[in-house]
Amino acid sequence: MDTLYVWSVILALSLATYFNRVSFLGLLAHIELPRVLQRMLAYVPPAVFAAIIAPQVFPSGTAGLPTLDWPRLIAALLAIAIALRTRSTLATICSGMLALWGMQALLA
Amino acid sequence: MATPLPTQPLSPPELSPRSALLAGAGASLPQLMAVIPFGIICGASAHSIGLSFGQAWALSWMVFAGSAQIVATQLMGSGAPIWVIVLTGWVVNLRFMMYSAALAPHFRQTPRIGRWLGAYPLVDQSFALTLGRIADGRDQRESAWFYLGLSLALWAFWQLGSLAGILLGNIIPAHWSIDFIVALTFIVLLIPLLGNRYMWIAAGVGALVSLGPQLPLKLNLLVAALAGAAVALLLEKLWTPSTSGR
Repeated sequence: MDTLYVWSVILALSLATYFNRVSFLGLLAHIELPRVLQRMLAYVPPAVFAAIIAPQVFPSGTAGLPTLDWPRLIAALLAIAIALRTRSTLATICSGMLALWGMQALLA
Repeated sequence: MATPLPTQPLSPPELSPRSALLAGAGASLPQLMAVIPFGIICGASAHSIGLSFGQAWALSWMVFAGSAQIVATQLMGSGAPIWVIVLTGWVVNLRFMMYSAALAPHFRQTPRIGRWLGAYPLVDQSFALTLGRIADGRDQRESAWFYLGLSLALWAFWQLGSLAGILLGNIIPAHWSIDFIVALTFIVLLIPLLGNRYMWIAAGVGALVSLGPQLPLKLNLLVAALAGAAVALLLEKLWTPSTSGR
């Protein structure tokens, strides 16, 4: 992969990320975040996390369209149920992976 | 009427800087199950798209944010333009700005150098656990040491996981579908956020847009994040009866 391309991404992304982290702790230490922006920022994480999860559960097929992958869907639903109930990282990851492997073995 | 609860809980005894640092490091241990596998996944994906060892490790040291690293790695692998990758990663990490704003009032007495350096390892777990500690009535100085111990430990575990992923990534057989741990890790992060319907709406819109037609320049995640947040904000404005309330 092109060296300049990769290093540009790494450098720029690290600066952009540090900017977010240091924003109100350092740069704007005595400024209160405006309310609308606070609300907007609160809604970004669920949107981002769901947008990262969804394509993993419905992998894109040949036409670039999402496909139904039963083992992944069932494992994800089980993991969501476990996470809702237990809030446990360990239980969620273990049950999700075991469900995925179990379903893959069944359907293989 | 219920018996009124004592309004002023007794503050816990103040810890020495050293004890607070160690308490912070100790608090990182239950997070290992999420941090190490996620670090391995990030390292392995960076390796798999053809980054050199130095590039893959620099990504992990300099960015130190798994979700943005994964997203940037996927986008680099598909040859997206640099500005799209950086902008998408920036939006994925916008939550750090929210964390920064939420922690700032509690670290006003911390020296400027401490705040500027301490901002670098700010991640989801260090934010959540430190804020929980502050809510327990711990004082500022002690919370700052706790945050430092926690952040350093999380950082070290992350780098170990990344290193393992970069070195061993191609040994893990593809049929183990180990990439699915990424989805599971984000389920763990997502579920506790879904406290009200607007958070559900943001998540739902984000998921739908991410599954929609492929946008040019690999802009799907960026558009999904912004659309989810915008729709949730808009509906909150429309459905909240009084504009001054809440």
